[in-house]
Amino acid sequence: MTDTKALEGQAQALLAAGRGAEVEAMLRPLLAGGSGPVALWALLAQSYRVQGRVAEARPIQEMLVDALPGHLPTRFDLSETLLLLGDFERGWREYSYRYSLAHTTRIERKVQLPRWDGRPMPGQTLLIHDEQGYGDTFQFLRMVAWAKQRSQAQVVLEINHEMASIARRMPGFDAVTLRGELPPPFHAHCEMMSLPMVMGLKLGDLPGDPMPYITALPDRRAAWRARLAQYSGLKVACLWAGRPTHLNDANRSMSLAALAPLGQAGITFFSIQKGPTEGDALRPPPGMNLVSLSSEIRDFEDTAAILSEVDLLISIDSSPVHLAGALGRPAWVMLPLLPDWRWLQGRDDSPWYPSVRLFRQTEWGRWDQVIARVAAALADLKVAPRALCGKATG
Amino acid sequence: MNTPTQNLTVEQALAQANAHWNAGQADQAERLCQQVLAMWPGQSDALHLMGLMAHAYGNLDLAIDHIRGACQAPRAPAIYLSNLAEMCRQAGQLAEAEQAGRRAVAMDSTLVAGWNNLGIVLQEAGKLEESLTCLERVVALQPDYAEAHNNLGNTLKRLGRLDQARTQYERALALVPSYAEALSNLSHLLNDLGLPDEALAHARRAIDANPRLSDACINAAAVEVARDRYEDALRWIDSLLISVPMHVGGLGVRATILRRLGRLDEAAADARRAVAAAPENGETQNILGEVLQAQNRTDEALAAFDRAAQLPGFGREKALINRGVLLMEQGDRAGAKTAFEQVLAQFPRSAAAWFNIADLQRFEPGDPAIPAMEALLAPGGVQVQSDRTALQFAIGKAWMDVGDAERAFTYLDAGNREKRATFAYDAGAIDQWMSDIIAAFPAELLARPRAATAGSDLAVFVLGMPRSGTTLIEQILASHPAIAGAGELSTLQRLVQQGGGYPAIARQLTAETEAALGQQYLDAIRPMAGNHRRLVDKMPSNFLFAGLIHRILPEARIVHVRRDPVDTCLSCYTKLFSREQLFSYDQVELARFYRSYERLMAHWRAVLPADRFLELRYEDVVADIEPEARRLIAFCGLDWNPACVDFHATARTIRTASVNQVRRPLYSSSIGRWRDYAEHLGPLLETLGIDPAEVPDAPAAARAKRAGKASAKRAEKPVAAH
Repeated sequence: MTDTKALEGQAQALLAAGRGAEVEAMLRPLLAGGSGPVALWALLAQSYRVQGRVAEARPIQEMLVDALPGHLPTRFDLSETLLLLGDFERGWREYSYRYSLAHTTRIERKVQLPRWDGRPMPGQTLLIHDEQGYGDTFQFLRMVAWAKQRSQAQVVLEINHEMASIARRMPGFDAVTLRGELPPPFHAHCEMMSLPMVMGLKLGDLPGDPMPYITALPDRRAAWRARLAQYSGLKVACLWAGRPTHLNDANRSMSLAALAPLGQAGITFFSIQKGPTEGDALRPPPGMNLVSLSSEIRDFEDTAAILSEVDLLISIDSSPVHLAGALGRPAWVMLPLLPDWRWLQGRDDSPWYPSVRLFRQTEWGRWDQVIARVAAALADLKVAPRALCGKATG
Repeated sequence: MNTPTQNLTVEQALAQANAHWNAGQADQAERLCQQVLAMWPGQSDALHLMGLMAHAYGNLDLAIDHIRGACQAPRAPAIYLSNLAEMCRQAGQLAEAEQAGRRAVAMDSTLVAGWNNLGIVLQEAGKLEESLTCLERVVALQPDYAEAHNNLGNTLKRLGRLDQARTQYERALALVPSYAEALSNLSHLLNDLGLPDEALAHARRAIDANPRLSDACINAAAVEVARDRYEDALRWIDSLLISVPMHVGGLGVRATILRRLGRLDEAAADARRAVAAAPENGETQNILGEVLQAQNRTDEALAAFDRAAQLPGFGREKALINRGVLLMEQGDRAGAKTAFEQVLAQFPRSAAAWFNIADLQRFEPGDPAIPAMEALLAPGGVQVQSDRTALQFAIGKAWMDVGDAERAFTYLDAGNREKRATFAYDAGAIDQWMSDIIAAFPAELLARPRAATAGSDLAVFVLGMPRSGTTLIEQILASHPAIAGAGELSTLQRLVQQGGGYPAIARQLTAETEAALGQQYLDAIRPMAGNHRRLVDKMPSNFLFAGLIHRILPEARIVHVRRDPVDTCLSCYTKLFSREQLFSYDQVELARFYRSYERLMAHWRAVLPADRFLELRYEDVVADIEPEARRLIAFCGLDWNPACVDFHATARTIRTASVNQVRRPLYSSSIGRWRDYAEHLGPLLETLGIDPAEVPDAPAAARAKRAGKASAKRAEKPVAAH
């Protein structure tokens, strides 16, 4: 008993450091007989994931779900693997247990009316409400109009205050209500991230219509165009750190110093970093022509306008990436070896966002290799900047 | 955030609070409720909403406090009382639940939810006819109410009307195909009907529909327990307890599984945790009683059964039965019989009560109990498959007592067939296994130097076929002041399983592992020995391990009890065992097993030393007990003590299928008994290779007994005088 506990602690520490191969070597002999403590099996699956061998984690996680059908955290773990592998059908179903984890049960919203079942409900009202992350909301806002079409209902969109003004300009629903305010009476509801499950979203449905689905405010664009006019060459917005409270932040974020090799002649970088590290941009690394816009950004409208006026966003996995993608603006995303499920596996494009290009780690923690590839791509871009726009509409 | 304005009226604030809660905005709803309560302490609607919210967040006690407060108001509507009834039910407070439910429907006789909630409270309180009335009214008022059909199904099921219950569950599922509770309940019902595979499939569907539904896991485990697949059952329960560690029902089922596996300390720990969490739950008290009984803590077990029998709910019948069985094990036949008759007074359809009464009493021609039992197998009678099977055996036994072999075997054959249909058994594989055991323990292995296990002369093993007289021999031994009887221990079997299975373990035997295994066995049994010099483990199936026993416990004594093959098999065939004896429910399989057993024992006889391996014939002991008893005691290295031939006076607990026989003085009517039934034992005799015509007739004494039986005036006297 104690042995298992000690082993678990050791394995978790190694996994946090990306040392999946060591954990695999440690656990496999113990589980070779085909049985063993559930916690160790779960860690073995995670050791494969951490090594980027996501497909090998799947049968273990499926076995665990089969053996422990009522253990909901195990189901959520499986959902992340399935979604990462692009198995949307079961993936979305298991993803519905996202509020059944130790740290999420208290934040589940207990709406007292039924969840929409995907069938038409003409003459009735459907409340669609956003959830936690801004990035999630930008990504799944596209589905609200589809839900309206499918349900034939009056659709009320409930959204966080920060994104409300952008959302209000979108077509495809009947009213907006702000998070925390009393929504108008409704007959059924759906969490925004449950729409894929309810509507049976498939990879082939992406990116869907319309694309892009978010627009920047013309006035703000004009203001930022004027603000950026003084800078010459290729204009690249950048950020390097996500919200520090995000569970996977250590894995997805880096430091400004790490971006230094991107600096090259003919490129001006604009920091749109927000949060504890935004001040770092005031002391840019040598050789990097970096201007901080952070203190001038008041809201997502500003971010959207900036992204519409620069040539490119280079970023870690964070909400401005989704905003750029939803705006149809070019963005290069630097992803850890084990990325969030939405970036899938083994591809440098994203079915969600035609204007987004992915740069993945090939070794745990090795941002330097990723930065080198981004730097090379930037150098190519300076030669042929038009290549950027591709399918996207500028 | 929008702060509620101060100038809302109470009505407006409540309307907003309700709307916020509907939208899942608990904080805003709570703030408005608190505003109302500040203006108007105890305001009924605000308290009610607070109660609903506390309930949604799993704070049941708090929720009940709020709703109770809400119901204090003079104008509290019926629905609040109905909600109080349901929450009290969930908290196991059935008395308050029933009171609130009755008040709710008295205030508003058209309140569907009120009748529904009262119906399930009454169901849980065991007031089934009244529950049925309530729930039938609900279904009449609202025929498309899936939950009501499900609830009605549960009441019908508890009434034993399984076919009607099934119809109701199926109606609920027609309305809502993925209705997890109905799937789970149907699973339970299918298991009762003796359809374990279908039952398990429904439990899985229930879990797929709602992985949070604990009952589905418990039902899946129950399916596996019912067919003795304890490891699978444990897996289901662990899958529940890993998510909900203090689940009372789950802990109870795990306690039962662990008890059956012989892991009594763990079983007791789980049962006590369950009781601590739900002291008013009769089923849980009953489970604790069963564990205490297995631990030989008789008085505590009896107290637990008594508590369980006092509490409302599902545990009562089981607790009363258990109480009777415990008295039976204590040798209190009259007390036991009274206990079972009390069960029948309260639960006239209790198959378990009849089954035990049949074991306790000798039936006479014209006994009204026989038609009473037969009526329970008629249409409209008992529908739970395992209950039906038990009744077949009980009625078969009754007709044997009366001397009507024809009728007896009609029931016994049916009972055995039904039991046999509940499990898979491969007689060929068992034959092969016995051969493997013989091959794994050759004479050379047994002749190796002895293991250095200290103190192994504590152990005495009494083994043989089930129903061969092992209980009798143990009883004789345990009547000696220097010997304690431990009953049938699964200790050795467990050690073998942990040690790599059987007979694979033979390959791992070295001087070290032998001593270690022996030591583990002795460590496990020593606490039961007290000051006694010998401790008897009379698990009959230890005959499989006789060679292994000698290797790991070189000073242990092994007593093999033999009995006439046909008498032994007949006795097995007429018995519905409480633990698995899978070979016993088909005459051919039973005979094949017997022949394999004989083959294995012939091997042990050839390879075990005579000073450690003694064989006794049951018939010899019965014919003249003292010389055999003296031989037995001498073999155990002890001085003779006359108490050994007065064994039926020994006050101790006996827990095997023979429990009601050993309490009587010797029992020679069971010698040559099979001859009366030979024409019904064709497959058995043929497979054993016995031609009834060639077997010499029974001793005169036994013949006289049988004649006496036919005249139905049997005086029971000790055969052995001293």
